[in-house]
Amino acid sequence: MAEPSKAQTSDRKSLLIWILVLLSVLVLAQWQSSLPDLKSYPAAWTLPATDWLNTGMDWVVGAFKPVFRALSAVMEYPLFWVSGFLGWLPWSVGTVIAVIIGYRAGAWPLAAFTGGSILYILLMGLWPDTMNSLALVAVSVPLAVLLGFGLGVAGYYSPRVERFLTPVMDITQTVPAFAYLLPILILFGFGPVVGLIAGIIFAFPPMVKNTIIGLRDVPSDIIESGLMSGATKGQLFFLVRARAGLRQILLGVNQTTMAALNMIIVASIIGGSEDIGWRVLSTLRKAEFGESLVAGIVIALMAMVLDRITYGLATRAPDMSPQQGFFGRHQFGLTVMGAAALTYLAALGLPDLQTWPDDWTVDPAGGLNFGIEVFVLWAKPVLDSVKNFIIFTLVLPLKIGLVNVVGPYTWGFTATVWHAVGYAALVAAGSGLAFWRGRRGQAITIVSFGLIMFFGLTNLTWPGASLLLIWFGFRSGGARLAFWTLAALVFILSTGSYDKAILSVQLCGLAVAASFLIGTGLGIAAAQSDPFSRILRPINDTLQTMPVFVLLIPVIMIFKIGEFSALLAIIAYAVVAPIRYTEYGLRNVSKDVIEAATSMGATRSQLLWRVKVPLAMPNIMLGLNQAIMFGISMLVVTALVGTDELGQIIYIGLSKGNFGIGFVAGMAMAVIALLADQYCRAWQKRIDAKLKGARP
Amino acid sequence: MKHKRRLGLLAAALTLGTSSFAQAQAPESPDPIRIAVNEWTGQILSATIAGEVLKKMGYNVELVIAGALPQLAAIEQGELDFNPEVWDNSVTDAYTNGLASGSIIAAGPLGLEPREGWIYPAYMEELCPGLPSYKALYDCAMAFGTAETFPNGRLVGYPADWGTRDIDVVKAIGMPFNVVPGGSEGAMLAELKSAIAAKEPILMMFWEPHWIFAEQDLRFVEWNPIDGECIEETQVKETACGFAQAEAQKIYSDDFAAKYPAAAAMIAKFTLKNADQNAMILEVDQKGRSVEELAAEWMTKNEAVWSTWIQ
Repeated sequence: MAEPSKAQTSDRKSLLIWILVLLSVLVLAQWQSSLPDLKSYPAAWTLPATDWLNTGMDWVVGAFKPVFRALSAVMEYPLFWVSGFLGWLPWSVGTVIAVIIGYRAGAWPLAAFTGGSILYILLMGLWPDTMNSLALVAVSVPLAVLLGFGLGVAGYYSPRVERFLTPVMDITQTVPAFAYLLPILILFGFGPVVGLIAGIIFAFPPMVKNTIIGLRDVPSDIIESGLMSGATKGQLFFLVRARAGLRQILLGVNQTTMAALNMIIVASIIGGSEDIGWRVLSTLRKAEFGESLVAGIVIALMAMVLDRITYGLATRAPDMSPQQGFFGRHQFGLTVMGAAALTYLAALGLPDLQTWPDDWTVDPAGGLNFGIEVFVLWAKPVLDSVKNFIIFTLVLPLKIGLVNVVGPYTWGFTATVWHAVGYAALVAAGSGLAFWRGRRGQAITIVSFGLIMFFGLTNLTWPGASLLLIWFGFRSGGARLAFWTLAALVFILSTGSYDKAILSVQLCGLAVAASFLIGTGLGIAAAQSDPFSRILRPINDTLQTMPVFVLLIPVIMIFKIGEFSALLAIIAYAVVAPIRYTEYGLRNVSKDVIEAATSMGATRSQLLWRVKVPLAMPNIMLGLNQAIMFGISMLVVTALVGTDELGQIIYIGLSKGNFGIGFVAGMAMAVIALLADQYCRAWQKRIDAKLKGARP
Repeated sequence: MKHKRRLGLLAAALTLGTSSFAQAQAPESPDPIRIAVNEWTGQILSATIAGEVLKKMGYNVELVIAGALPQLAAIEQGELDFNPEVWDNSVTDAYTNGLASGSIIAAGPLGLEPREGWIYPAYMEELCPGLPSYKALYDCAMAFGTAETFPNGRLVGYPADWGTRDIDVVKAIGMPFNVVPGGSEGAMLAELKSAIAAKEPILMMFWEPHWIFAEQDLRFVEWNPIDGECIEETQVKETACGFAQAEAQKIYSDDFAAKYPAAAAMIAKFTLKNADQNAMILEVDQKGRSVEELAAEWMTKNEAVWSTWIQ
């Protein structure tokens, strides 16, 4: 800390600027009715970014189409052979192989889980569809892994490459696939290969990230001992460094597999094969909840089995030390081959072992549909009033402001000037109290929030909102963050995306805040209680791997098409990250620290709130970061329940066959995500600094 | 809307003209004719039946699953050959531009008679006695209202990417309704089903033929009769005509007629009727029978019809 007097003057200055900024926001919001250009950015000032993008794409298509077509033709081969093989494979042989691999990766529990999942797929009569989806995953994952590993190695050796890769990966993960669907369709041609490409683009980043971390974090003594034993550069890399980082690299494989599974649905929207994603989509189109749930569970199960297997193989990898040698691995291969061959021979004699007979399938869809209908009828009245309460007190005020929401039908009275004065007094009192207690940050937050809730985000006016954001950026992350905020705003304003962007921010902001609060709470509870953690885990897995579309049907049945359903959908998906990271962070607080705190007589709650939570803060913040990323990626899905934001623009671009429109919206989503990420980091830094200050 | 129709007819006339000159013997090529299969039952039936007829002519046929939008890019690129049922109301600029540039050829209407407009469940007639006339909606907007739309009624419109026709009509005739974009067909059906189950008020932009009409008692809002085409944006309250009606078009790729002249000639004659399709959709969606089975049944029953197409 600098000298107090200096700090005080700078504090005073910043307070003054805060007051000026908030005052100008207030004045601008009041004046907007007389100056329509204030509310939404004038269309005349926008740049024709859409046209530029379309021209650029036409050029790329014209110049490189043959190259991409050739690539596409090459990639069709593995897909053709793999899906041909999986289609031919008798179910009994496939099951035996999968169960043995499951046993290898995680002993009997995982073998049983694998077997059970396959039994479910067979009973539902979805084996052929599942194999078609698996073929897509089986081809896209190795390609994504190879690409990611290569780029990761390049990024490890050259910081310049890494600096280039980081934003590219952020963009490929945040720009929704639909935004670049048109160019890849035209470049690669129609067919399953397009789904494959989309899958690879989305799935390779985790591999790059984990490869870089894996290679970098190899302890220097291992490298030194490698050097001392006279390893050449190549040996040093493959035999020493890559092997020592193998565990992390394999975790990258695991993450890449999960990401590829997320793309099954997207690949189906493009079309080309009769797979599980297609089944989910076509049943969703008919709003058949039961049928789509049955198929959606298959995707969730596939994801869970592949996750456990790749994770199991990844974490047991270090045991495969040279002593065990080739014999160990050989034995496993032989077991699989032998068992598969025996089963195949048996299947030759028994046709029922080749194709699962129709008589052995069950169809729970009708029951599920009936059940959900009964539930909806029962729950609707109660939940409707909850919904209205939240919409009138939180969702709508944030969007259009209390000044427009309060009325006889919503709040039960007509708003007068005196209500506004009362509201202002309340905000002022809260802020004054915080200020008096020496909490300036809190005082400013209360006034800003009071202002936003009064006028609504959409009525803040674009100059007002920009001013507020830039100054906030400067205060939280210095000139650098202020600059990035400005750059993001320039992009969003000049492409004419401001109106939709602000609606996206409103929807996502609310949903992410709720996810973070709920998720962190559940994560803390799970870290404190093992049984609760065990209950939560499969729920988390399902929420994250089952296509979110499926959950939308019952949500719409209860809450109708509109913003509230969208909010719930985002929360259901984004809540998982904070739960997981919070629990992980709390459970991994160093045992020494806990022992020290306990020996000093800390109670259980002191231990949690004073020791564990502060120490787990980096992980908790990572949970927030991920919740934001997931939240923004859900905007494409919420557009399907009728929200009016950037996700909607992507579909409009698609339906117009206009690449530029959708891509600009996708980039705007990426820009918002990246900026939010920067704010999280800045916040995290301040927390770190505070923690360091508190513990000398 | 109007432009689309005109272009379609023009293109259809052109193809009819050219194909009658080419009297080649089928099959001209052993390459399979790739027919697009979309995700709704009616189209799957049309595609399967068209495929069966083409097979009778000796062609190799491949049915390819394709999303409604990507299929257009694929047909433009010549990677898919033919789609017997494309609704010119739900398709988009990609379709119109394809027709205009000549990379997609319209082969005339399939013969189904669609209907588009606002639907409501039968029980709404008790809550809003003037129905089915659109005029009743002015007085009982509140019967269709929710807290969020107060004091207006709530109309669930088409998803935003299907265009803004419902919003245009509401504006043109000054209806006291807020239009909520439907998001997607699945979302619209989910809301419709649950509203009916709970006997809640609902008014929704929808289209026929659709299987939901076989399952539920749904009625269309009725408009003033009109000579010629209804112009949606400029109608007024007193003489409102509602919506211009769409058509299901047959389309194929630009080099299709040159490569398979006999197939193109058959496609020009290929038609299906509402009643045929509705009955088959019901069998498939409600009674769980397979599309192939019904297509085969249709082929045996209608041999007299399709044998004239392939001459």
